[in-house]
Amino acid sequence: MRYDAAIIGAGAEGLAAAALLAGAGVKTIVVERSERAGGRATTREFHPGFRASPFADELPPIPADIHWALDLSRRGAIFRPAPTSTAIWPDRQSLLRARESGASSVHSFLRNAAERASDLRARATHDSNRAPQRSFFSRPAVPASWPCEDWMAASLAEVLAREIGDPDMEAHLAAAALRGWVADPFLPGSALHLLSLQRSGTVTGGLATLADALVSAAREAGAEISLGRDATDIRHAKGRVSGIGLADGSEIEARAVISTLDLKRTFLSFFQWNALPKEIVQAVGAFRMAGTTARVLFALDTVLPGAKRGAIYVAPDLEQLAAANSAWRSGTIAAHLPVALRVADDPSLAPAGSAVVTATFGAVPYRLFDGAWTREKRDALRKQALAALESAIPGASAHVVAAEVIAPPDIEEALGATDGDLAGGEIAADQMLSAGPWPDFPFPRSPFKGLYLAGSWLAMGATCAAGAAVARIVALDLAKGALK
Amino acid sequence: MSGDAIVVGAGVNGLVAATYLARAGRKVLVLEAKDRLGGACQTTWFASSFRGPAIAHALTALDPRVVAELKLARRGLKFAVRDMPLVALRADGKHLTNGRDLRATARNIAVHSRADAETWPRFRRELFELARRMRPLWWSDGKSEIPSEIARLRRLSLAAWLDSRFESDAVKAALAGDAASLSPLAPGSSLLLLWRAAQEMCGLQGAAAIPLGGPGALVDALTAAAKIAGVEFRSGAHVSDIRVKDGAASGVVLDSGDEIPANVVLASFSRAGLLATKAGRTALGFSESVALERGVSPAASAKVMLALNAPPAFNGVAVPLRGRFLLADRLETFVAAHAASRAGRVPQELVLEVVVPTAGDPELAPLGQHVVSIRIGPLPRHVAGGWDAAKTPLAAKAVAALDRCASGLARHVVAAQVLTPDDIAARYGAEDSCAVTVERLLSDWSSRIRTPIKGLFLCSAASEPVDAVSGRAGRIAATLALREGAAK
Repeated sequence: MRYDAAIIGAGAEGLAAAALLAGAGVKTIVVERSERAGGRATTREFHPGFRASPFADELPPIPADIHWALDLSRRGAIFRPAPTSTAIWPDRQSLLRARESGASSVHSFLRNAAERASDLRARATHDSNRAPQRSFFSRPAVPASWPCEDWMAASLAEVLAREIGDPDMEAHLAAAALRGWVADPFLPGSALHLLSLQRSGTVTGGLATLADALVSAAREAGAEISLGRDATDIRHAKGRVSGIGLADGSEIEARAVISTLDLKRTFLSFFQWNALPKEIVQAVGAFRMAGTTARVLFALDTVLPGAKRGAIYVAPDLEQLAAANSAWRSGTIAAHLPVALRVADDPSLAPAGSAVVTATFGAVPYRLFDGAWTREKRDALRKQALAALESAIPGASAHVVAAEVIAPPDIEEALGATDGDLAGGEIAADQMLSAGPWPDFPFPRSPFKGLYLAGSWLAMGATCAAGAAVARIVALDLAKGALK
Repeated sequence: MSGDAIVVGAGVNGLVAATYLARAGRKVLVLEAKDRLGGACQTTWFASSFRGPAIAHALTALDPRVVAELKLARRGLKFAVRDMPLVALRADGKHLTNGRDLRATARNIAVHSRADAETWPRFRRELFELARRMRPLWWSDGKSEIPSEIARLRRLSLAAWLDSRFESDAVKAALAGDAASLSPLAPGSSLLLLWRAAQEMCGLQGAAAIPLGGPGALVDALTAAAKIAGVEFRSGAHVSDIRVKDGAASGVVLDSGDEIPANVVLASFSRAGLLATKAGRTALGFSESVALERGVSPAASAKVMLALNAPPAFNGVAVPLRGRFLLADRLETFVAAHAASRAGRVPQELVLEVVVPTAGDPELAPLGQHVVSIRIGPLPRHVAGGWDAAKTPLAAKAVAALDRCASGLARHVVAAQVLTPDDIAARYGAEDSCAVTVERLLSDWSSRIRTPIKGLFLCSAASEPVDAVSGRAGRIAATLALREGAAK
């Protein structure tokens, strides 16, 4: 059976792309390895009665047009902006109230960061409209200047010192920008991480509700969603793709293949290396990816009435972020990992009279210098999370009845993210947008005709945006007859 | 005493600027706060009968036009070593010598990686070719077009660039040694390598050279050229403020309270240094002052001079003694050193650049004895507990690191001098540097040299794209000053 578009991966991006493509009359199939759709937008029971989203508490915002186009509210995905975050030091605390209190420098700074992120997205859209004209082997095109050129060369610490001027608030914002990631805040270029300071949100009932809504949108539009089928290779000949091969030996023929996996996984596991041009293997090999995130899920047998809602950063400190980065680079678990706690404020996630708390660590290496991720090393993470919990909410750690540690290798296994890298690549000026591995084939296109990329790493801080972008381009290319 | 033009600071750039102004018929007075001329570019007696370079120990960027136009060769500038190969010293003895002979270098690289040996000639050709196209921007004051490849390089960190071309740590570290003023992870650090490749010494692109008699010989030649052109000097004269009348510089005020009127003032301040003067603070305005004060402070460096009673003998494969030796194993060494210096700690692994001045110029030491000049950097400008306490451990660590590659060296040390970042600032006034940024590397000269005050021009090393002994800032500042004077 021949499809117009085959999508690998039923995460938020893949489902959004499927819904939009099918809605435009494109015959679409989504292939997902796991038995459940959703990717990182998932919620599962980690202890009897206790549920949590294992890979993220919050998702970046869904752009309003996509939200309406997919009719997500009617399908039950009620997106709630994340509450104000808090930073707690042993002797004091700072509230990121800026969003509410209109006039402060923090408020205008956050607005500036959000504007820059949306400018960058607009720029990415603009770039993707540029049709590829030259071959991969020609000299690279020149990336024109970007809306965020100044942050590209500035350090996070420098920008915050200039714009904020209050050390506590600077440390708080730096911790928020680097939540779950790693960077040296004093290194030029790290200011790009500030782009992630936008208002993210949760979904009532856990992130899985969003996945269910997207599945319903896609199915209703006529897309086929095929779960539990593992794609193993992308069939191609003479520089254009013709379909995907599956683990069970079957094949799906398609005029366009959309991969929602990261760059490395897409090219290094779906293609045979010797079948790829050397230049592509080199460009993909040079793309820097590394896991940084680990999570600990806690089940507590008590409610925490006084606890702050929203993310709680425990003793954020710029020097400590820099030290954690050095430790991460050398493959060790820092003594003080940057950590963000979140007390689940959704009553449907925990039984009555109990609570779920998640801890998100940044600067956790995928490869440890002294070998594999053993039980002791996971235990070290659990202890750091417990200590953070105790200092943020005194007395809470005694009520912990269960804990689950999710280390970078677990993320890789569950989501197929290379090295457990949830960002899909280091956030650096030389691998974003048109400066990526193939400047002449602006994302979502690739050097292969008919192969499109739509991982969340291309969404530039907006859920479903990469899926919507790829849907637009694929529909356009199909209509133009470019993929006959 | 009055002068039409005053040059503050008799460093290389100050001397060059003064000479150009005097040759154009201006009456020029040079004011130097210290007793000796030359700033960071001096040859000093650091032990009895041993002389050595005070700070800069090899010249990499001297502007050939300055050498030719000021006839420095006729004023006594000769070179002891004209083209120093870069030798990356390795603990395992497989030192990597990177010289002008591409084939010999490729053979050296092949010891570490065959693929890199194949890449090397092409990489160097491309680098040098692109670097030559950057010369209009980095050598001249006119507006110039930036080659299109730069748009990509300015986003690229040196680490990413080298990782995409080479596989062996030795090659990557050797290349990073020439671009060490930024962390190799910083975007735009690849431009530093390009800047280095764009320079020319003794007619050779990308060379490093040592004048006969040490770097002080360059200052002597420049001073001679300045005196012949009619420049007057006054040393021990510290300028405390610039007089400004109607938005234009009208003279300088000395510490002693004396005022010297002038139409044009060329000052060896950095832009941040300008803030120390009342006139500068007023003219720069609030927002630029704040931006400068909160700006990133650059990494510092320290200097160790050793007097040896025997030539240093390096373990492992033979290396030319007149080379520049680099001690840094991997790119990560530079990354860690930069991170540590920012955090105010002495890095665990020091990055050392070592030169043996006596290899090409035996006159600097008694017969058969040698001088070893070690530059340690990046280092923090300030350390906890102060540099005085950290001085001896730092020198011991540096000598021990060098001793691992040249065993027995430590036993032959008969005298030593250690200059910490504090000492360098106090003795040579080199405090006034400014962090290297992509913006600084790619801005045009006049934006770095001109100031909001008419008739005041900045001509320190901080006005160059990268701090270096080049004389270019002085030459261009003098040209701008003369052009503006003519228009008046």
